[in-house]
Amino acid sequence: MNAIDGTDRHIKSTDGPPPSLLTIILDTNPFAWAHLSSTLPLSSVVANLLVFINAHLASGNANEVAVIASHNKRTAWLYPTPVSAHNTNGHISAQNGAASHTQNANKYQPFAEVETNLLSNLDDLLKTTTPDDLSTTTTQIAGALSTALSYISKSTIRHSPVDPTLLKSHAILIDDGNLTSQRINLVSRILVFSVSGDLASQYIPVMNAIFAAQRQRIPIDILKLAGDTVLLQQACDATGGIYMAPESPQGLLQYLMMAFLPDATARKSLVLPSAGSVDFRAACFCHRNVVDIGFVCSVCLSIFCSPNLQDSTCLTCSSVLSLSSALTAAPALIPRKKKKRKRAPGDGSTPGGSATPLPGNGTPMHT
Amino acid sequence: MADSDGEYIEASDDEYIGGGGSYGTRGRGKGKKGQRADGRAKNAWELSAKTGLESYRESADGTIGKSIQEREEERKRKRLRKDTKAFQRGIIRHIVLVLDLSEAMLEKDMRPNRYFTMIKYTQEYVREFFEQNPISQMCVMGMHDGICIRVSELSGNPADHISAIQGLRDPKSSTSKEPKGSPSLQNALEVSRATLYHTPSHGTREVIIVLGALLTLDPGDIHKTIKSCVQDRIRVSIIGMGGRMHICTQIVSRTNSGDESGYVVATDQELLRELLLATTTPPVIRSSAPTTDGAAVPAESAASLLQMGFPSRIVEEVPTLCACHGNLTRGGYTCSRCKAKVCSLPATCPGCHLTLILSTHLARSYHHLFPLRNWVEVSWQRAREKGSKQCLSCLSDFPEPPSSHIAHTENGAESSNGAANRTAAVAAASRNTAPKGKQKKDDGSNEDELATASESFRYECRDCKSHFCIDCDVFCHEVLHNCPGCLGGAGPRKEEGNVDTEMSG
Ligand SMILES: [Zn+2]
Ligand SMILES: [Zn+2]
Ligand SMILES: [Zn+2]
Ligand SMILES: [Zn+2]
Ligand SMILES: [Zn+2]
Ligand SMILES: [Zn+2]
Repeated sequence: MNAIDGTDRHIKSTDGPPPSLLTIILDTNPFAWAHLSSTLPLSSVVANLLVFINAHLASGNANEVAVIASHNKRTAWLYPTPVSAHNTNGHISAQNGAASHTQNANKYQPFAEVETNLLSNLDDLLKTTTPDDLSTTTTQIAGALSTALSYISKSTIRHSPVDPTLLKSHAILIDDGNLTSQRINLVSRILVFSVSGDLASQYIPVMNAIFAAQRQRIPIDILKLAGDTVLLQQACDATGGIYMAPESPQGLLQYLMMAFLPDATARKSLVLPSAGSVDFRAACFCHRNVVDIGFVCSVCLSIFCSPNLQDSTCLTCSSVLSLSSALTAAPALIPRKKKKRKRAPGDGSTPGGSATPLPGNGTPMHT
Repeated sequence: MADSDGEYIEASDDEYIGGGGSYGTRGRGKGKKGQRADGRAKNAWELSAKTGLESYRESADGTIGKSIQEREEERKRKRLRKDTKAFQRGIIRHIVLVLDLSEAMLEKDMRPNRYFTMIKYTQEYVREFFEQNPISQMCVMGMHDGICIRVSELSGNPADHISAIQGLRDPKSSTSKEPKGSPSLQNALEVSRATLYHTPSHGTREVIIVLGALLTLDPGDIHKTIKSCVQDRIRVSIIGMGGRMHICTQIVSRTNSGDESGYVVATDQELLRELLLATTTPPVIRSSAPTTDGAAVPAESAASLLQMGFPSRIVEEVPTLCACHGNLTRGGYTCSRCKAKVCSLPATCPGCHLTLILSTHLARSYHHLFPLRNWVEVSWQRAREKGSKQCLSCLSDFPEPPSSHIAHTENGAESSNGAANRTAAVAAASRNTAPKGKQKKDDGSNEDELATASESFRYECRDCKSHFCIDCDVFCHEVLHNCPGCLGGAGPRKEEGNVDTEMSG
C-alpha cells in the first residue's frame, strides 16, 4: 500500500490529481454465488476485480484501495489485512511476510501485495464459513458500508490532519461539491459488488449509512450482478454514485473499466451512465414489503403498509395513533380545527414515556 | 476560518445539540493550541473564562503533549454524551422564526453589524434546519418598527425562506427592510400564534425569536398573549443579544413548562450561530405539560398515522408540464396516488394533497429516534484482556498496553497509519512518566456520566464488545449512527440478526 505520508502531501495536492481511495465491498453471499456459478463464477469476478484494482492503483501514485467482504453473518476485511486479536496473529503476519518476500519479479509489488492479501483473506473467509453461518440468506451490507465509511473517514483525517471540527462552521454553507475540493486531499468512493437482494431487514442501518455517505460526499457505486434491491439504488441516487446492472456480466471487466474506474475528480468531466428512472419506494416496517404509499407514525416515522394496526398502536414506539388525519387530506384550513384539537387529550392518546422503544421489546424491525 | 474543510465537518453538526448549556465546551483550552483558528479561538476563550481557567490548571501538572491529545478526545466525547437517550422527539415541526429588525440590530458588536450577521446566519440556519427536519414547515417573520411583518409564508421549501431572508437586506429588492424602531414581542407572538393556529396537532409548534433589542414595545398585556400561547401549546425559544430580559425568561419558561433553557444570549457572532443551529435538533416531546393555571393544557401532540407517498423518479423523452409550477420539464417524480408530476421532493401533491417524500427524508431522522449507545472507555487491563490491536473499523493501530509501549512506538511510526498513532503513542508514553495529573481525574470518573478520554485510546461498544479509536467513535456517533461491529457480526453471535442491538440501542 503506497500511502503517502505527511511530508509530500502538500506538494501532491497542488499539482496533479488528489489521491483517491477506492473502497470495494464484495458481497460474498454464498447462496447468490452458488446461483450465479454457471454464468459468472466468483473466481472470475475476483480475477476481474484484481485487474480493476491494479488499474486504479496504477492511475495515480498515491491511490489507495480497501476491500471489505460482506458475508452472510459478518463482514471481513480482505485488504488491508487486519491484525487479529490473539491467536491468529502469528499466522497472519507469517502470511504477510510471505507476501512481501515471495514476490514475483515480474509483478509490480503493490499489485502483488493486494493480490496476495486479498486472495488469502478471501480464502480464509470461505474456509471459516460454518453451516451455522448459512442460516441466513442475506448479506451484512449495512455492516460493510459502515465499516467502509469509518475507514474512509479515518483515512481522510490521516490525509488532512487539520482538526475538521474547527473548520466546521463553513461546511454547512457548502451546498454542492464544488467547494469541497479546496482542502480535501483524499477523494473517496465506495463500489459495491452486489449479488444479494432483499436487504429490507437492514433498512435503518443502510439508510443511516447512505445518509452519512451523502454528508461526506462519498459516492456509492453499485454494480448489480444479481438480485434486486431498491435500497442500493437509492444509495446510488442519494450519493451521486453510478448504478449499473450489466446485461451480460461475462464482460464484467469492461463495465468496471469504463464505468467505475474514473474517480470523483475525473467524473466531473465525463458523461456518466444515467440511472434513468429510480424506484424510491420504501420498505414497510411491519412486513418488509416495498410500498409506494405508506402510513407513517408521526412520532417515530415508522412506515407501515396498512393503516389497520393492531389496537391502533405503533409497532415501533407504541404510541396510540389516530388515523383520522391520515385519511382526511388537508385538514389545515378547516376553522373548526381548534375545537377538535381540544378534545384530543380526552382520548388518552398522549404519547407517554413508555413509548420509547425499549431494548428487547421486539420492534417490528427485527423480524 | 476562511479555509474550510468541506468534507468531514459538515457532518458533525450534532455538536450543537444541547443548546444553551453546551457553549461552555467551546472554551476547550484552545488558547494553548494557538496555532489553530485564531480568530475564533480568542473569542471563545475570552467568553468562557471559567472553562478556560479549568483547563489551564489541568495542564499545569500534566505534560503538554498528553493534555492536548487527551483534552481533544475528551472534548470530542463530551459532545457525544448528549443525545443518546431515546427520547421521543417531535420530528414533524412547525416553526416560526422571528427576526428582530429593530434599530437595536444596527449595533456593531458583531461584524459588520448585528443585522447582517443575523441575516447571514439565519440563511445558513434555514438550510441546516431542513437538512435535519426534512418534513417540517417553517415561516419567517420580522419585528420591524413596532409591528410584526411576514417575511415568508409557512412552507417546507428552504429556498423560499432563504431568498426571502436575502431579500430583507438587498437594497434593490422591494421587500428590503432597514432596521427601524422597536420590536414588539407581543405582536410577534400573536402573529406567530395565528400562523401556527391551523397546523395539525401531530406536529410541534415552535417559535424561535432572535432578539437584539433589550426592550419590547407592546400594545397590550403580553401576559395574556403568553397565556394563550401556552394554551395553544406553542413553545417559544429566544436567542437574545447583549443581555437578558426578565420578560423573555418568563415567556420561555411558561411556554416550556418551566424550562428556561430555551432562553439563551449570544455574546458574539459565533455563539449566535451555534445557538441558532442548536435549535435544529428536534425537541423532546414532553409527556404531559404541567398545568400552571389549573386549566387543562392540551396534550403536547396527538400522535397520528400519516399517509405518505414514496414516488419514483421518472425520466421522459419529451418535456411535459409539471403539476407544481406548470413548467415544461423532462422528468420529475410522479405522485404514487394520482400520477401527477412534481419537480422536487418533499412536496404536497398538487393533485391529491398526498404528502410526497423520499424515504431518505424519513431516514434522516431515524438517528434521533434510535440513537447509537455511547461507547465506553477501555482501561489498560481490559485492553490487555481483549488483546485488541487495531480499531475494528479503520484498522489504525492502538498503542500497546504500557508494559511494551516503547517497542510499539517504533512499529507505529513505520506502519502506514503512523501519523495518527505516533501522537497517541507519545501521549501514552508521556502519561507514564507523569501520571499524577491523570490520576485524580480517573478516580472520579463515572463512565456513565462523564465523558473522559480513554486511557488506552480504545472505546468499546457495549453490545458487540469491539474496540474503536476516538475518530471512529466520533464518526459513528455523530455521522453514521451505526456500529460497524454490531452490524458486521462482531462479538457474541446471536440467534437474531445484529440489527436488533442497533435498533434498540
Ligand atoms: Zn407491512
Ligand atoms: Zn411510532
Ligand atoms: Zn414544478
Ligand atoms: Zn397525487
Ligand atoms: Zn478507528
Ligand atoms: Zn457494536
